[in-house]
Amino acid sequence: MVDLLKASGLCGGYGDVQVLHDVALTVKAGEIVCLIGSNGAGKTTLLRVLSGMAKSTAGSILFADQDLRGLPAQEIVRRGIAHVPEGRRLFAGMTVRENLLMGSYLRGDGRAVINKDLDFVLATFPKLAERLHQDASTLSGGEQQMCAIGRGLMANPTLLMIDELSLGLSPKLVGELSKALTEINRAGQSILLVEQDVATALRLASTGFVLDTGRIVLSGPSNELVANPSVREAYLGMTAA
Amino acid sequence: MLYVQILINGILLGGLYACIAVGFSLVWGVLNVINILHGSFIVLGAYLAFFAYTGLGIHPYLFAPFAALVLFMLGYAVQLTVINRVIEAPVLVTLTTTFGLALLLDNLMLVVFAANFRKVSLKPPLGVIDLSDTFPSIDLIVPVDRLASMLFALVFVALLYWLLRHTVVGRAIVAVRMDRYAATLMGVDTTKVFAVTFALGAALAGAAGALLSPIFPISPLAGTTYLGKAFVICVLGGLGSVSGALVGGLVLGVLESFGALFFGPEHSLTLSFTVLILLLIFRPNGIMGKRGFV
Ligand SMILES: Nc1ncnc2c1ncn2[C@@H]1O[C@H](COP(=O)(O)OP(=O)(O)O)[C@@H](O)[C@H]1O
Ligand SMILES: [Mg+2]
Repeated sequence: MVDLLKASGLCGGYGDVQVLHDVALTVKAGEIVCLIGSNGAGKTTLLRVLSGMAKSTAGSILFADQDLRGLPAQEIVRRGIAHVPEGRRLFAGMTVRENLLMGSYLRGDGRAVINKDLDFVLATFPKLAERLHQDASTLSGGEQQMCAIGRGLMANPTLLMIDELSLGLSPKLVGELSKALTEINRAGQSILLVEQDVATALRLASTGFVLDTGRIVLSGPSNELVANPSVREAYLGMTAA
Repeated sequence: MLYVQILINGILLGGLYACIAVGFSLVWGVLNVINILHGSFIVLGAYLAFFAYTGLGIHPYLFAPFAALVLFMLGYAVQLTVINRVIEAPVLVTLTTTFGLALLLDNLMLVVFAANFRKVSLKPPLGVIDLSDTFPSIDLIVPVDRLASMLFALVFVALLYWLLRHTVVGRAIVAVRMDRYAATLMGVDTTKVFAVTFALGAALAGAAGALLSPIFPISPLAGTTYLGKAFVICVLGGLGSVSGALVGGLVLGVLESFGALFFGPEHSLTLSFTVLILLLIFRPNGIMGKRGFV
């Protein structure tokens, strides 16, 4: 498979505080990749650097063979990376439909195509269809996450990045969302998933990267990571057998 | 009947007040900038209308959209060249910046237009509608110039509402107002949105200035009065929402009319600031409570 995103030697952070050290991460086209690591490891910061929301000081971010590093956020959206932020961050006071359409803000490919994508999102998340004209802030946590992912999809991205998919959601809802993501991925969507729940993450993704205090300490196919003793001990709560 | 008359006067005033405040409220809500220039923009709009009427014979009501356009361009330029440089700074810095710009504009107007009071005296005057002509039992009058100013003012407020709700630019403005970070993730260029928002605020000030020119005397230093009113209305109605400015404007208009009756017209500003202080103590989020936007 072709490399869709290839970050290497990436350093970055906030102001004088360097959070990321020499990070390398690759997402192949059509794949789900998960980024795992404990709280404060720098997962959100890495996504922010990739989407142009935080500064990087060194390295490169090749996306479809072009370096994105240093480009403003709107240019990165335009090139095909959508970032679903931690905590959903829907626009309160706007309806679900208006929120979804904000996702297509930059698109110039016409209302017909955008409406088709809207139909796709609503077919993927039927609960959103029921609440289409409701204020987004009245949605339940799970529905908000669906709306946030839908809003990301409305940008028609080549790569969809999701920060903390399951945070604060019941296992049943996480199951539903996982199923939806698998479906979206089967339709060809490449996904970079940040997830605290390592078991869920490794089940969904084909490849995983483990971030620890701003460094990638481990990476590989999910089935290998699941079997890896240090992953099992540190993130899956099992003592090494 | 007297009280009904006062109420009518207040509502007529209130519509105009809503137009005075809504641009100020928009800029405050979206940019988090307390734009001291707003009152001076209103005065500039009034002067433009005055000279358009005395010089070119263009009626102020017809001129209002042009005043809005001129102020829109001025606002856009001021935002991009000056305010944008300090937009990330704490609110005190942006406040000081706009305060300085207001001093500059006020004194410029003082030099160019001189300090004497002017007024657009419509010829022929629009007169009054006397309701007792048609309903002999109802002893009320409606001054036509005030009615027209209020109606046009409400049209501008409604236009802003429509723009925020139904256009791409408007949606971007509202998105930035609600969550700047998330809006950037959608690909919204916040710098542009800030400039357009500031320009829209200035445009509404210009329109309000033109619309009030037949009613209130115009002087280069009247800006402070309008700014004070806009401030009170924002606190009354809640920040950054069109409906809040509308409610706040109407409430202040009615309050001032009754205040003028009970305490004399010279105390209207004292009254509005007394209300401001009471509200800040008891309802800091405004009568309508904290609202997202439109
Ligand atoms: N806006 C910020 N400014 C400064 N430091 C930050 C900011 N956000 C996060 N950090 C710091 O960066 C480190 C990584 O945080 P983050 O990327 O949010 O981790 P994770 O998403 O893996 O939990 C933490 O030490 C955190 O304190
Ligand atoms: Mg995080």
